[in-house]
Amino acid sequence: MFVNYLKIAFRSLMRQKFYTLINLIGLSFGIAAFVLILLHVQHELSFDKHLSKIDRLFRVVEIQNEPGVGEQHVAITMGPLAEAMKQDFPQVVNAVRLMGGFNFSVVSYGDKYFNEPNFQYADPSVIDMFDIEFLYGDGETALSDIKTVVLSKKVAEKYFGDASQALGKMLMFDKVSYRVSAVMKDQPETSHFFFDMLSPIATAEALPEFEWMKRWGNNSLVTYVELDSPDSESAVNEGFKAFLDRHVFIEKDSWQYLEMYLQPVKEVYLKSGHIKFQSMSAMGDARMVTIFIVVSLLILLIACVNFINIAIARSVKRSREVGMRKVLGAGRGSLITQFISESAIITLISLFLALGIVELVLPELNKLLGTSFSIDFTGNPVFNIGLLLIFIFISLTSGYYPAFYLSRLQPVAVLKGVSTYRGKRGGLLSKVLVVFQFVISIGLIMAVYVIHNQVSFVRNKDIGINYQNVLYVGFGDKGYEKLQVVKSELMQNPDIRKVAGCSFLNGVAGSQGPVFFNDSAKSKLYVRFGFVDEDFFDAMGIKLADGRNFDGSHTGDINRALVVNEATLRAMGWDNALQQSIMYPQASDSSGKAEIVGVIKDYHYYSLRSQIEPAVWGWQPESFRGVVINFRQGADITAIKAFIEQKWKDIFPGIPVQITDAAGFNARSYKKDQDSFTLFIYFTLISILLSCLGLFGLISLVLEQKTRNIGIRKVLGGEVWQITIMLIKEYLLLVLVAGIIALPLGYYLLGIQLDAFAYHITIGFHHLLIPVLAALIIAFSTVVFRARKAANSNPVDALKYE
Amino acid sequence: MIKAVNLTKIFRTDEVETTALNKVSFEINKGEFVAIMGPSGCGKSTLLNILGLLDNPSDGEYFFLGNEVSGFSEKQRANTRKHNIGFVFQNFNLIDELNVYENVELPLIYLGLSNAERKRRVESALEQMQIMHRRKHFPLQLSGGQQQRVAVARAVVANPHLILADEPTGNLDSAHGEEVMNLLASLNQAGTTIIMVTHSQRDAEYAQRIIRLFDGQIINENIRAGSVSANNL
Repeated sequence: MFVNYLKIAFRSLMRQKFYTLINLIGLSFGIAAFVLILLHVQHELSFDKHLSKIDRLFRVVEIQNEPGVGEQHVAITMGPLAEAMKQDFPQVVNAVRLMGGFNFSVVSYGDKYFNEPNFQYADPSVIDMFDIEFLYGDGETALSDIKTVVLSKKVAEKYFGDASQALGKMLMFDKVSYRVSAVMKDQPETSHFFFDMLSPIATAEALPEFEWMKRWGNNSLVTYVELDSPDSESAVNEGFKAFLDRHVFIEKDSWQYLEMYLQPVKEVYLKSGHIKFQSMSAMGDARMVTIFIVVSLLILLIACVNFINIAIARSVKRSREVGMRKVLGAGRGSLITQFISESAIITLISLFLALGIVELVLPELNKLLGTSFSIDFTGNPVFNIGLLLIFIFISLTSGYYPAFYLSRLQPVAVLKGVSTYRGKRGGLLSKVLVVFQFVISIGLIMAVYVIHNQVSFVRNKDIGINYQNVLYVGFGDKGYEKLQVVKSELMQNPDIRKVAGCSFLNGVAGSQGPVFFNDSAKSKLYVRFGFVDEDFFDAMGIKLADGRNFDGSHTGDINRALVVNEATLRAMGWDNALQQSIMYPQASDSSGKAEIVGVIKDYHYYSLRSQIEPAVWGWQPESFRGVVINFRQGADITAIKAFIEQKWKDIFPGIPVQITDAAGFNARSYKKDQDSFTLFIYFTLISILLSCLGLFGLISLVLEQKTRNIGIRKVLGGEVWQITIMLIKEYLLLVLVAGIIALPLGYYLLGIQLDAFAYHITIGFHHLLIPVLAALIIAFSTVVFRARKAANSNPVDALKYE
Repeated sequence: MIKAVNLTKIFRTDEVETTALNKVSFEINKGEFVAIMGPSGCGKSTLLNILGLLDNPSDGEYFFLGNEVSGFSEKQRANTRKHNIGFVFQNFNLIDELNVYENVELPLIYLGLSNAERKRRVESALEQMQIMHRRKHFPLQLSGGQQQRVAVARAVVANPHLILADEPTGNLDSAHGEEVMNLLASLNQAGTTIIMVTHSQRDAEYAQRIIRLFDGQIINENIRAGSVSANNL
């Protein structure tokens, strides 16, 4: 019996090749897009899932609210916090501190030199809390002794070729040697906090320059705690107030405002967008994940809607068949089985086609996202179950209408009035579905248009600093001693315009702290600190608003003169900042004060996502970590890089040179947005194409049924254009209805999306008009293409049809 | 009014070539009522389609109102059609989505007449066909006879010179059929030329002349009312 169903289903599909093809194309692309998005989403959701204690692991986050910056969430915490929490909270069974290696720039072994961005100082508890497994060496004692280091397998191979040879070897951290105490398994890339070198944090604590780690006033490291149970989170959160009173607020010159809370580690990767300072190697965005899930479902729905719509339109023809089958004794059950098997066959074939498409597209997608997704039937049960669910879902949704609706028809009614049977229900449902598709398409077109505008707005906005024709070369924490040599050597190249020492290429150091005006604690302001020399503002095209730049002709400005930005004036309510003096932590003057000599125009030292905050720049050479090099427009950048590398080898022998292209660096801060946007555009295009395809199929069928109508009109003297217009009118109306539904929705949702940017465009009338126009044009061309063909046909053929 | 010279129509499919009309020649004068008869498949409807400019002959000449129209483009044919010819079909061919009034109005819309003029003419045609009281009804709500009266109203509403009727009573019972034939006869008396394809000898009695077709050829032409019978072959 089942074979018979399959045979009939297969023949019925073959008889209607055109519509079968439309269904196959629509469904296979729909499923392929869905699968691709699913792989992406699965990857985003897989972060940190390898941690066995993930439900009990939390990161400590501070809420600060200091003058000048307002409320901000900060996941960088104090040195004593971990130990104190273990003491004070019975629920805290373990705690670990992790801190980057700020105190060295290069790790070397023999003639091998590397920068190690994934080095962390850590408490030994990291082993247990983060499930570190050891390949060589004793895990128990791996982080017990200071000046030892644990390497990942990959890193060990990098230095020693064979990881098993690493134990006991000495690595040089700048000029200090560390003994390799163990080799651990590589951490999964899907970690929000990725490390491949660990050293006991006691190593840092023992150093005089890390004295501040012992105080509650400084935030410098990440603290994770392990609770006895996931349910203890609220108890700890409630206990923080008393905890802070006991430890933090008893200190003089302490925080004006401070709260703490626990952030579950399982949420860290996707839900940390609100945290301003944190140390993470990878960060996702829960909102983007949601958007992608929604888009993938929409695409799948569009594909199903196509299927259903064609099924509805075909039901006119099928109803005659159903009537006859019923007359001949077919029961409802057998009819339902027949229709469902038809949609199951189509779905199954589409599924295989979709997997083929995915295989073809994956390499490109991986290149775009920097991922390594693959279809894995054996090791990814979620994926297999997902495919099975898609199969069942589509077979049933798409087979539902013909199966249950047609099988209910009364045979006599069907056989009598075939041509009009489609009836109001099918017609209305079909219209509702077309509107639904266009709501989605218009919404997505609008989203693409608005986001595109925002992206180019960001790209073209004058951010107040020029990253074009600028390179940055870091020289670590001791390189400043040779700054003058670097400058004079590099300036020998006629293509190089300016060389300037700085804390980083954007001019700020990443640190933030209080400064006091007029000696009064009331005039405390939280500012960003930047450390630059007299050539920096000129090299980066940053404009002076008032006063003067640092004076390079004498060194009197070093650690005495300060430059502030306009945001500082606004925060303090000043009209004029010149001659104001500030209690400046690094001041060389015995009074501890430094004087503001200039005001620069605001520029975006971070991305446009964040507001420009008050910032203070000092000429403080020991805080310089590299130089920015501004070269002439049109100069040969490869030659300049080669020149710099050569000079670097001479000036800093044994230290690898790392040249950063400033423009590329700036672009990278928008890369995630750009990637998401590109992906979004692709999927939007797919959904629009699918909608068109569906509309095309639907119109073809409807016109097939209107053949007689068209024929009669032609016999009566109707001309091709008149008939075409009649056919188009109906669909254009549906598009307009869809526009009325889609635009307010889009306006609202995109508004929320744009608010994530501190500086963004506003949605204008054209953002509403153009998507509807685009949809109208799409619908119009589809209908015209098909309708003209119908209207042009010979009326005799049309009338014969009946 | 109509002159057909060696009209030939050949239908070709991939494998079969069927000659539906084979060198058919005749003339029809203004004001005549002509019936075309013959067994199924003899080419009656094909001839009617060509006469109604719904289809082009494969060969031969067709003069309509003095113009050679066999080579007309679709646009020219449509234009000639809407100004000069009304159609009545066996299966009525009313548009189900339009009501009686709208169905009858349709040819006038394509003629580009004003709203008021259309209203006047449609109402007059509906009165004439005694179907005015059903003007708001949809075709499926009417009996077969009523549907055919609407179809006739639609055929005459534009005052055509020629009405082509393809088995107008074929789907009707005898009472309704007679009603429709009387309508056609009265239109003919008012001066409209009528060409009708029919199987029914009784219906053919209404015509002044009968053209008999067999296998795509005219086998005889009878002038009725006791006049001479002429054999064309």
